[in-house]
Amino acid sequence: MKLRCLLLGTLTLMALAAIREASPSAAPPTPPPVKDQGSPSFTKDVVPFLTKHCYACHGNGKKRGELTLDGYRDELAVQKDRKVWDNVLQMVRSGEMPPKEKPRPPAVEAEAALRSLEGVLAKVDCSGARNAGRVTLRRLNRVEYNNTVRDLIGADFQPAADFPNDDVGYGFDNNGDVLSLSPLLLEQYLSAAESILDHAIVNTEAPKPVKNRLSGIRVSRGSGDMRRGYGSFLHSQGSIYGESYCDAGDYVVRVEAFGQQVGDEPVRAEVRIGEEKKEFEVSAKEAAPATLEMNVRLQTGTRRVSVSFLNPYRDPNAEDKEKQHRLLVVRSIVLDGPHNAPAPILPESHQRILAHRSGLEPREAAREVVARFANGAFRRPVKPVEIERFLKLYDKAQQRSERWENAVRLALCGILASPHFLYRVELDPPNAKAGMPYLVNEYELANRLSYFIWSSMPDDQLFELAAKGQLRTNLELQVRRMVKEPKSIAFVQNFAGQWLTLRKLATIAPDPKLFPNFDEELRSAMHRETELFFEAILREDRSIFDLLNSDFSFVNERLARHYGVEGVTGREFRRVQLPANRGGILTHASILTLTSNSTRTAPVKRGKFVLDQILNTPPPPPPPDVPNLPEEKELTGSLRQVMEMHRENAICASCHQRMDPIGFAFEHYNAIGAWRDKDGVFPIDPTGVLPDGKSFKGPADLKTILTGKKDLFSRCLTEKVLTYALGRGVEHFDRCAVDKIVKALEQNEYRFSILLMEVVKSEPFQMRTATGEKQ
Amino acid sequence: MSKGGRISRRTVLRGVGTMVALPFLEAMLPRGLGMVAEKTAAPRRMAFIYVPIGAHMANWTPSGEGVNFELSPTLLPMAPHQKDLLVLSGLTCDKARPNGDGAGDHARAGGSYLTGCQARKTAGVNFQAGISADQIAARRLGDQTRLPSLELGIERYRGTGNCDSGYSCVYEHTIAWRTPTLPLPTEVNPKLVFERLFSDQPNDPDRANRNQLRASVLDTILEDARGLENRLGGADKQKLDQYLSCVRELELRIARADKLPPVEVPEGTAKPQIVPAEYSEHCRLMCDLLVLAFQTDVTRIATFMFAREGSEIQYRNIGITEGHHECTHHRGNPGLIEKVSKINKFHVEQFAYLIGKLKSIPEGNGTLLDSCMITYGSAIEDGNRHTHENLPILVAGQGGGSLKTGRHVRYPTETPVTNLWLALLDRMGAHTEKLGDSTGILGGLS
Repeated sequence: MKLRCLLLGTLTLMALAAIREASPSAAPPTPPPVKDQGSPSFTKDVVPFLTKHCYACHGNGKKRGELTLDGYRDELAVQKDRKVWDNVLQMVRSGEMPPKEKPRPPAVEAEAALRSLEGVLAKVDCSGARNAGRVTLRRLNRVEYNNTVRDLIGADFQPAADFPNDDVGYGFDNNGDVLSLSPLLLEQYLSAAESILDHAIVNTEAPKPVKNRLSGIRVSRGSGDMRRGYGSFLHSQGSIYGESYCDAGDYVVRVEAFGQQVGDEPVRAEVRIGEEKKEFEVSAKEAAPATLEMNVRLQTGTRRVSVSFLNPYRDPNAEDKEKQHRLLVVRSIVLDGPHNAPAPILPESHQRILAHRSGLEPREAAREVVARFANGAFRRPVKPVEIERFLKLYDKAQQRSERWENAVRLALCGILASPHFLYRVELDPPNAKAGMPYLVNEYELANRLSYFIWSSMPDDQLFELAAKGQLRTNLELQVRRMVKEPKSIAFVQNFAGQWLTLRKLATIAPDPKLFPNFDEELRSAMHRETELFFEAILREDRSIFDLLNSDFSFVNERLARHYGVEGVTGREFRRVQLPANRGGILTHASILTLTSNSTRTAPVKRGKFVLDQILNTPPPPPPPDVPNLPEEKELTGSLRQVMEMHRENAICASCHQRMDPIGFAFEHYNAIGAWRDKDGVFPIDPTGVLPDGKSFKGPADLKTILTGKKDLFSRCLTEKVLTYALGRGVEHFDRCAVDKIVKALEQNEYRFSILLMEVVKSEPFQMRTATGEKQ
Repeated sequence: MSKGGRISRRTVLRGVGTMVALPFLEAMLPRGLGMVAEKTAAPRRMAFIYVPIGAHMANWTPSGEGVNFELSPTLLPMAPHQKDLLVLSGLTCDKARPNGDGAGDHARAGGSYLTGCQARKTAGVNFQAGISADQIAARRLGDQTRLPSLELGIERYRGTGNCDSGYSCVYEHTIAWRTPTLPLPTEVNPKLVFERLFSDQPNDPDRANRNQLRASVLDTILEDARGLENRLGGADKQKLDQYLSCVRELELRIARADKLPPVEVPEGTAKPQIVPAEYSEHCRLMCDLLVLAFQTDVTRIATFMFAREGSEIQYRNIGITEGHHECTHHRGNPGLIEKVSKINKFHVEQFAYLIGKLKSIPEGNGTLLDSCMITYGSAIEDGNRHTHENLPILVAGQGGGSLKTGRHVRYPTETPVTNLWLALLDRMGAHTEKLGDSTGILGGLS
């Protein structure tokens, strides 16, 4: 979201309040209670609030905005109409309701009621049959498209580089609901398919020899000229030359030339192409030019043919001034070839894609190729009727007398533009009961797995297991194998890159005057550090809490200098023990930089980052019309002092009490994440108190507090990973699955592999709810 | 004149030199379309330039009304074009207001500017706005040109996380909506824009062949998708519908490409190779491409976002190190207000460049600008308070003589900006009764 609530240049602080106080002069509210106070009750904890603040317009027979709330008598009724109540939550929390003209409920009272309402809505009965959710038909995003083509064709073309960026939903760009298609993108898919196949399948026909008369003949400066109807001529040392692209093979070079013969020897010329050269005596005259011929064998590439004049001569006594000079005149240069061209070298992909049993009729051979390719591209066994459909393209090309390879290529092009390739299709089985969950089939499961961990299609091993119906029973082994494969770097880049909003780092532009040290090398080193660190946690199967607090990281010389770590030279990254003031992603320069403004640190952003990405307790969006603060007095002091003065304002306080202290803990790190002892001339005070009363002396303390929030962080990370794995937002009915994963983590030292494994084993990952009745 | 009674524009170009007018002679139009151009008038063109986060209105609104108005400090760069300019005050974009949806004014502004519809508040599932004015024109008139419309932008979108208070990023990144659920992404890379404009080179010998093969591929995948259609339900079906309509659109384009007059890139026009790092260089290059698209009649309809809504671009070349959006929440601070005005003026300078460029290209008896209706504006009035009435709106160009320019017109407050779009659609020949929250066709323009 827009961080509307930022400190601005003059350090005026915008208000950002969940609930506005009735009177702006009221004392700051005490922080809302954070701890769970047992099971919330709708009738006891929520109804009194509604009675006091809502029923006047939305009850007692009145239904302003077509909404009555007093008809909801118990929890069941509320849970049934979740949408209505989600909206109530949002409206009250954002301060839209009650409307301005009505008295404001005190923040503490409202927050307590809202939390209870949330609790009521979050209650899910985990004992019965549950909704497993339903991911929407997903288009491959850019990364998935690139990787899938790489694994399908066997060559890394990165064809998606120019595709438009993918839409992002719930924090990730693999969300089925938001990924959309435009005519422009479909056209790019078509062009990409054509160009991928042009690279993968080469024309096996040797190039036909042609007589190529070179155009664009040039004369070296000062030594001659060109005259229409006559030719290019040289009067002094120099050459006439032209260039052409040549396929490998034997060529005959033919130069049509004559001389203006002056003096007692005939014109002499040298023809040169590449390393080869040959000398000629050109005694021919204009009336009957001679052809100078030379045979060469050329490799593929652009070649220059040049004709040089070897014996310029001037007869000062010649009567005709036009004829004083001996001239070499070239009419034309022809490259005749390639003859005996070598058979083209077939790329590995060509042989693999077009392989078929020998002795087949051409169309049967095409069928074999198309079937195998479609099985891979559609990532499941393809039906004969589908193969026949794409063979029609082969037929069409055959009718146009295209070569076999080209005809097959057209059929493959259709496959790469088909919705079965471009989308991840999951179909309800014919016997599925509307609205009921069913296990996705083994191929669909293989796809879910491979796109989760590799952002790409399943490999042979996954396909084989799926074909035998043994994938589901071998999941653990497969997940472990998949994480070990280098391809799992996709999970680091795409999951961690988006969870930690690392991709944003590319757009951050610290003020060059204030931060002259910041450059592209540092930016990319910051990014790399966090990726390598996350990768280490993943591959070494460490605790997820090591992400927040650990004593090692990865640096190269540039980043080591930034951190003040000594003894690291060169561009290579290596694992190092960190000084006491670093450790964990929250002290990575990457995160510290992308949560700063261009000119200074932004504690609000840093605090919000922790609430959003680490604890999953995002502050509510700012109210729609933040009132103007009263006239500013001149404020002086450190950033912190100034902000604290503002926080005395009740409107700002309730949310900023949650965000700011967390941010202040990191004030020792400047806007590009370097350590500093002072904020300008002011000493830094990294201490603080959280709304739940826990106090800390600095970042190390705060990290200890955060790593103590076992449930919040493991739940947060679980929901993020689940969102990424499912390609849809986590819904209330996923609560049981999340609970189960969190519990398994707790019982297994919070190891990362448990998180992945449990996500893969979870109901929403294994199942899908059939379409039909209301879900 | 060639056998078919048509002459290619290349012939014309050769005759009169390069970078000159491309007169719209009836003979150049394919048969059938000739009827449309009974007069030798140039076709009308429309472009919608979007600037994010409104303007500081005290420095924007001109003093005086009618023809006797004085350009404001922000609009000063338009001085050379004052006679070609309409400044419209008082127009409103009501659907950018919360109307009960809470925070998220930037997303709503982008989603409602050309649609007049309240964007659905969702960070993911089922985003929806409405069909946009440019796309209404593209639907009606798009078959007369190679591209129905062109969508340009400056900021490539990298929306990680949620975009604006629970709204999907898509609302901030485009103003063009083909259907209420099919937003059209903006292209920011000049090279790709150029390729898109001129990839269908009629003198490319491979083109006909490639188009025929592509048409067969499209047939096949359409059949393939239909086979799938019956087996999908709910949201899946919507996604497939999107695919199907894209396939059909491409089919139409390919079919159309053969019937349309050839396009010639004016000599001396080189394909841009990079995305310039500096803002105004990038913006002007995109303006050049927009002009080129109109000049060569590859399209007559375009949108161009000078930045995404809610943009945080730091305009360092004019001495501003804070992000644009950051500045606009100035809370009355004079230093920041000055910066906002500076950014506003800087954008107007780019707009003036575009108008100047259109004016520099002769067409018929006048210039390319004569046939154009280029609007410039934002769906936010004041970025500090997020208000949406009295929007900063400009219209440049005479719309083929249908607009009386050189005036400042003030409308009653709460006049929907969609009324202006209806008025322009009317002049394009795409009369529409209603667009989102419109209440009628805006008067006072001619």
